[in-house]
Amino acid sequence: MKRVLASIAILLSTLLLPAAGYAATCGCAGVPLLSAIDTSSTEPGDLYLNLTTENHIADDLVVGTKDIRDETDRKRSSLATTLSASYGLTEHWAVSGLLAYIEHSRDVGSSFLPAQHTSGLSDAVILFRYTPIYQTPFSRHELSVGFGARIPIGKDDAGGLISAAEDMQPSVGALGKILWSSYSYAFNQAATVQLGVSATYTDNDEENDRHYTFGDETSFSLGLSQSIGTKFSYAAAVRYRRTQPDRRLGFDIPNTGGEWLDFVPALQYSVTDKLNVALSGRLPIARDLNGAIQFTTSYSYSVSFTYAL
Amino acid sequence: MRYKVSLTLLLLASIGIVSAADQAPDFVGLGIIDEQPLRLSDYRGKVVFIDFWASWCPPCLVSLPAYEQMRAEIGTEDFEIIAINVDEDPANGVFFLEDHPVSYPVLKDPEGDIGIPYGVRSLPVSFLLDRDGNIIESYRSFKLGDEVELKAAIEALIRE
Repeated sequence: MKRVLASIAILLSTLLLPAAGYAATCGCAGVPLLSAIDTSSTEPGDLYLNLTTENHIADDLVVGTKDIRDETDRKRSSLATTLSASYGLTEHWAVSGLLAYIEHSRDVGSSFLPAQHTSGLSDAVILFRYTPIYQTPFSRHELSVGFGARIPIGKDDAGGLISAAEDMQPSVGALGKILWSSYSYAFNQAATVQLGVSATYTDNDEENDRHYTFGDETSFSLGLSQSIGTKFSYAAAVRYRRTQPDRRLGFDIPNTGGEWLDFVPALQYSVTDKLNVALSGRLPIARDLNGAIQFTTSYSYSVSFTYAL
Repeated sequence: MRYKVSLTLLLLASIGIVSAADQAPDFVGLGIIDEQPLRLSDYRGKVVFIDFWASWCPPCLVSLPAYEQMRAEIGTEDFEIIAINVDEDPANGVFFLEDHPVSYPVLKDPEGDIGIPYGVRSLPVSFLLDRDGNIIESYRSFKLGDEVELKAAIEALIRE
């Protein structure tokens, strides 16, 4: 019941709050997969292909809300390469799908343990979007809602002799149910300046083959974007993300879950009328993490190419 | 049951889209400069090209002069262009036309009375109608050179 209420609250919030199209559901170790999906409005018959690579650095050691010095000189990073496609099914319906390949690395500088590397196919994401109201020369509002799933098609080493830690697995390995919504408002008829909000809820009820269940995740983004001429645009957003503690065999895992507030800047350049390249980043503003101590995101950056067929 | 609901939603969502082979929605609009009314159905018997544009749409600034040239080459015995300006303030459209005058009729449509029935979502967008008022083709975006293929399509329709 609580989940239903939370979902309704998220959907309603998109109606009340004025959105940048940044949404995230974590694939693994905080690498957002859904944010790599182009969730902008898609006209019927339009097909967009997107290739994104994101480097995610997670070296920060945090106690609650405070950063502390990491004496172990630990280095932790994840490189995610995603391929996604969005297709406009009808005037109001669109579908997006994503495949990801993830490489994790971890190195504890002060120990004698060798650096650890894992890699493989990650989870897939599919998202169906319904846009009852879209921006046109005659309407400055756009509202979309969507539902989808994170599908566990990725690499899983549960049957191996030694399993990597959950945050080093390429795949979550369990089905996740996704609810998504976004609202945007154009400040002028040409829609060169837009304000937007988006919200995502991922229900991670199912445990993976390693009997591990990732915590449910909720995220909100509020952002502003502006086009300069016909070639450049930029965006700046703040994103709030909250995850419940992970669980194993029904018990909460200590030092997992918490709240994050990030700054998400982005730049986009239209190489041609069909090809766009974008740079974006994620920098922590504040966080409040569960447990005695947690390693978490220091920053991330990504490059993406979008081609309209 | 859930699938049936989804399919119904998809079908409902599909209704109302103007696409090729549909009868073009008729309209009466006012000239952006002379405020004279113009009705689309009065052009039955001619091949008609309807072009939606705005002064803030960069490709539109290139397409209007190109269409003017194309119209001069084809002639107006069997063909006409009707341009629909969708600027919220039609004065911006008039200002553009002072610098780039065109001979074909230009109507104002700031509220979308014409554009919404045509499903205009982004600009430029245009529609090619046969002599019976059926939409034969729709075009989104414009770059110089597109008018060559368009002209061939129009001439083929005139010959039919």
